[in-house]
Amino acid sequence: MERRRLLKGAAGSALAVSAAGLSGLALAQQGKKILVIASGQDIPNFDPHVATGYSASMLLRNTYDGLVRVEGNPPKVMPHLAASWAVSPDGLEYVFKLDTAARFQDGTPVTANAVAYSLRRTLRLAKGNAWMIAGVVDPNGIEATDVQTVKFKLLKPFAPFLSVLPWQFIVNPVLVETNKGADDGQEYLRKNLAGSGRFKIKRAEQGNLYEFERVAQPWKAGGNLDGAIWKIVRETSSQRLMLARGDAHIAVDLTSEDMDALKDRPGVVRILEPEFRTFSIKMNTESGPLADANLRKAVSHAFNYKGMLDAAGYAELMVGPLPPGLMSDPKLKVPRTDLEAARAYMAKSKYPNGGVKLTMVHVTGLEQQRQWSLVLLDSLKKIGIDLEIKPMVWPDMVASTKTPATTADFFPVYQTGNYADPDNVAYAAYHSSRNGNWQNPVYKNPKVDALIEKGRGEIDPKKRLAIYTEFQKMVVDDAPDIFGVLEKRRIAMRDTVQGFSFTPVASNAIDLQKLSLK
Amino acid sequence: MMTTLPLDTAELAQGASRARRDAWRRAFYRMRQSSLSIVGLVLVLLLLLVAAAGNSMAPFPDHITGGIDTAMRFKPPSWSNWMGTNELGQDVFSLVLGGARISLFAGLAVVLLAAAVGTIVGAFAGYLGGWTDEVLMRLADLKLTLPGLILAMAVAAALGAGTLNMVIAISLGWWPGFARLVRGEVLSRREEVYVLAARALGAGPVRILWRHILPNIVSPVIVKMSLDVGFAVLTVASLGFVGIGVKPPTPEWGQMLSTARGFLPDYWWTAIFPGAAIFLAVLSFNLLGDGLRDVLDPKSRR
Amino acid sequence: MFAYILRRVVLLVPVLLGLSMMVFAIGRLLPGDPVMLAAGPNASREEIAALSAEFGLDQPIPLQYWRYLTGLLQGDWGRSLQTRGPVLEDLKVYLPATLELVLAAMLIAVVAGILLGLLAAVRRNGWIDYLVRLASLASISMPRFFLGLILQLVFAMWLGWAALGGRFPLTLSPPPSVTGMLTLDSLIAGDMQALLLALQHLALPAIAMSLSPLATITRMMRASTMEVLQQDYVLTARALGIPPRKLLFKHVLRNALSSTLTVIGLYFGWLLGGTVLVETVFDWPGVGLYATKSILTQDFMPVMGVVLSIGTMFVVFNLVIDLLYGVINPKVQLR
Repeated sequence: MERRRLLKGAAGSALAVSAAGLSGLALAQQGKKILVIASGQDIPNFDPHVATGYSASMLLRNTYDGLVRVEGNPPKVMPHLAASWAVSPDGLEYVFKLDTAARFQDGTPVTANAVAYSLRRTLRLAKGNAWMIAGVVDPNGIEATDVQTVKFKLLKPFAPFLSVLPWQFIVNPVLVETNKGADDGQEYLRKNLAGSGRFKIKRAEQGNLYEFERVAQPWKAGGNLDGAIWKIVRETSSQRLMLARGDAHIAVDLTSEDMDALKDRPGVVRILEPEFRTFSIKMNTESGPLADANLRKAVSHAFNYKGMLDAAGYAELMVGPLPPGLMSDPKLKVPRTDLEAARAYMAKSKYPNGGVKLTMVHVTGLEQQRQWSLVLLDSLKKIGIDLEIKPMVWPDMVASTKTPATTADFFPVYQTGNYADPDNVAYAAYHSSRNGNWQNPVYKNPKVDALIEKGRGEIDPKKRLAIYTEFQKMVVDDAPDIFGVLEKRRIAMRDTVQGFSFTPVASNAIDLQKLSLK
Repeated sequence: MMTTLPLDTAELAQGASRARRDAWRRAFYRMRQSSLSIVGLVLVLLLLLVAAAGNSMAPFPDHITGGIDTAMRFKPPSWSNWMGTNELGQDVFSLVLGGARISLFAGLAVVLLAAAVGTIVGAFAGYLGGWTDEVLMRLADLKLTLPGLILAMAVAAALGAGTLNMVIAISLGWWPGFARLVRGEVLSRREEVYVLAARALGAGPVRILWRHILPNIVSPVIVKMSLDVGFAVLTVASLGFVGIGVKPPTPEWGQMLSTARGFLPDYWWTAIFPGAAIFLAVLSFNLLGDGLRDVLDPKSRR
Repeated sequence: MFAYILRRVVLLVPVLLGLSMMVFAIGRLLPGDPVMLAAGPNASREEIAALSAEFGLDQPIPLQYWRYLTGLLQGDWGRSLQTRGPVLEDLKVYLPATLELVLAAMLIAVVAGILLGLLAAVRRNGWIDYLVRLASLASISMPRFFLGLILQLVFAMWLGWAALGGRFPLTLSPPPSVTGMLTLDSLIAGDMQALLLALQHLALPAIAMSLSPLATITRMMRASTMEVLQQDYVLTARALGIPPRKLLFKHVLRNALSSTLTVIGLYFGWLLGGTVLVETVFDWPGVGLYATKSILTQDFMPVMGVVLSIGTMFVVFNLVIDLLYGVINPKVQLR
């Protein structure tokens, strides 16, 4: 018995000793500079024309390149594979001249042919980020006029065209054609790379981690990273602890509480920046009690905005359908908590004394959404409305948006800004072509549709502003959503990370290009 | 040697029930001897009291039905909030009390449903024997090899949120245990004198099972039920931890614990109290169950 | 003897077949529309139809079962709708991780359980005994995920002795994968440092998992040891002045082995399917986590795969235990 106890004690102290050296050891591995990023999102698919999600964006923007990049705050489009470009006055033709230094990872130059091939494949597969250019780029109008020049003909003018190009990645046509298989190379590109980016994948353990390694001869220099690791850490508190202990350099999924806990932590830099990511609760404008606009307005005025803001932590209240920075109108009047106004609208509605029961769905396990549904429940009680909250798994929620009758009365939606243009929000969240999808299940207003389409096609910035100002006013009048919060982007970094500059678009898809480790 | 068979099965049943009553009386006497079981009984009664009292015992009853107070977020334990407040300013103590009701109700419901289904299946399997027995028991055995928690999660998620769905999902995995128990008991009593007598008098299987056999196997079933309630409560909390089962705003200990993970270690009270509640509830039922087993089934002394 | 083993193995077949049928039935009965999610919000009607066909979801049920069964036997356990990758490949990675956890937990439970049970029996009705009995009861009642959280809080967050989560430090390369279990692979590669690191990550989740079987083994050990201590031959030996230790050792050990074997058999399957929450708390990439993720996205092939593999392992394992039982205790009648 004594012997065993001694052994146990020895083992314990050995473990303790090695634990002390655990963090330092892990990161100072043979002097290599490996950046560790902790995130909760997996990267199951590497195909640049299929994959979506911020984690996929991270992998793609570091292993592939687009014609242009997006950088800075406010975001600006910068040359990348394309060294320069020209737009025709009517906005229907774009000509890009490629950077002669651009090379794929196998050493072959990136040609205009490759660009044309990639864009055509994107449109053909109609997955991933294709929606950004679907109906915009004429698939037959993509032409490689010479080795370094590619021309795009658009079906109609599209003001945000340059903003969406960073997400249209260029693949190496030779590799893809060789491994085409029966599905246009999707099986191959799911797990293999055919890009021109600065990094390639050293090891990929699905659901666990992805290790990046700098290629020997990158065509564009930047930063001093030898590699990076995208580690899947599901719990935000674990991410926070890893960061605090130095086991990770960047954590991208932290909650407001996590950021609070890291407040004066030595060695930690907190990034808390406003972005274009909105959270709103969509109301069923087509079916059920909320088809009554007055009831919707009543709800909008009864909602406890302060409560939602308190629960959100680092955030701002939305000031309308468009976030500040994307042509939001500072003079726009949006509903705020005003119980008198709420009751006035109730009196005009079909349910002057309330007594109606509404349903709200939210994603099982998504803590923020659960909290906000409780805020809504509490608010609705004050105007005599009962709320039934139904947590659902995501596939069920998606399926429920097929028809207005199956869609719940309240449907929470996070809208991510994929590109820095009001069209991104307007089209995805309010155009009726998105009906039947979770982004905009039921709302349709032909006048609003017309405005959105006009805004897309208008090139003159002043005219665009006027269009979007009218658009916002019309949407607020319709009151299809409870405009919620704009969460600030919450990223925490070790102070050994240098070269990071915040861009309010895809900031959690960490761009390794300019990063260095001290 | 012939034993005289009483012709009146009713009298038979009466004699049996008198014997049963005496057995219960003896059982409770023995139970009083074990201090741990008393503790268990007291705790369980306390839990039942809390659950039955509804929201009136809670200092902030409206928090249990979804009331929030975002100005009071994350307050540590104090005189006004014994267990502190959570991420929405709700009083943790009130929520823990509220959670007792759902945990208990769900746990008991699961065990009752599983016991009911299992008893029916096991009774028929044991009594009828032959093919029925083979098929039913094979089914039960197969079910026992499959991972219960994962299946309960899958079924509950598929059925959708809600306490009833969760109860059904969990009991689907629980019945085989009861089926085997009841089958064994029925099998051993199938050839008893009073059963043969009743059969000779033309009673059908259902009547025999219902009036003669089942009343005699109540005690092992009750023992198993009491031993299982604790684990049923644990399973309910496990499902809640993953986010499956109860609908907001109903407080549920497992879900509270899961939410609180993100707030450790700073706001520890949001996690420790719900977790301790789960532990205490399960412990009390286990103590009680153990006590009952020692008392009603003294052969299996621990 | 050989004939007996052969017979038992052959009898496995209908059981496994029944298992596959049951799993298939459960999988198909789960409502939901996972094809919609996999297709994405921009999918066309043709795309959805194509996806349905790819997964064979438009064929009659018996045909689907046949396809499923033949697929299983050929190594095609379906594809995850989420990742579009083969389930079997995923299982090859996740199953060893869970196995490692379960085996480590059982090891702790057996070693500590036997010792504590002995201790309690020998110092019967003393305060140690009482403490052990109380602790056993508490251990069974303790929710594993709560215990895991507390362990994490104390040993990883505050004391920093053990790792927070995962199986291995991130930036270091794990030893070459032979069994898929990092501890064994480290031993095989002779990499002591890797072994230490792997243990550091394995420690807390294994302890959290081990408590229940530990408690049961302790109780069993205590009960059976007490029984032996009261046997006539022990009393006789004592009366004759012979130190009972030698006799004790042999009989106690034999009892320990057979009752422990029973408990291991009982707990193995239960633990395999019960790692879900501990894996969640410690971010341990095993089948529990895999199944949970799949359940929350209504991805039924992985869930079926996990359930089937666990069920199969349970059945096979129990057969092994039964046979071992026969070897250890030849008095057992071989039917």
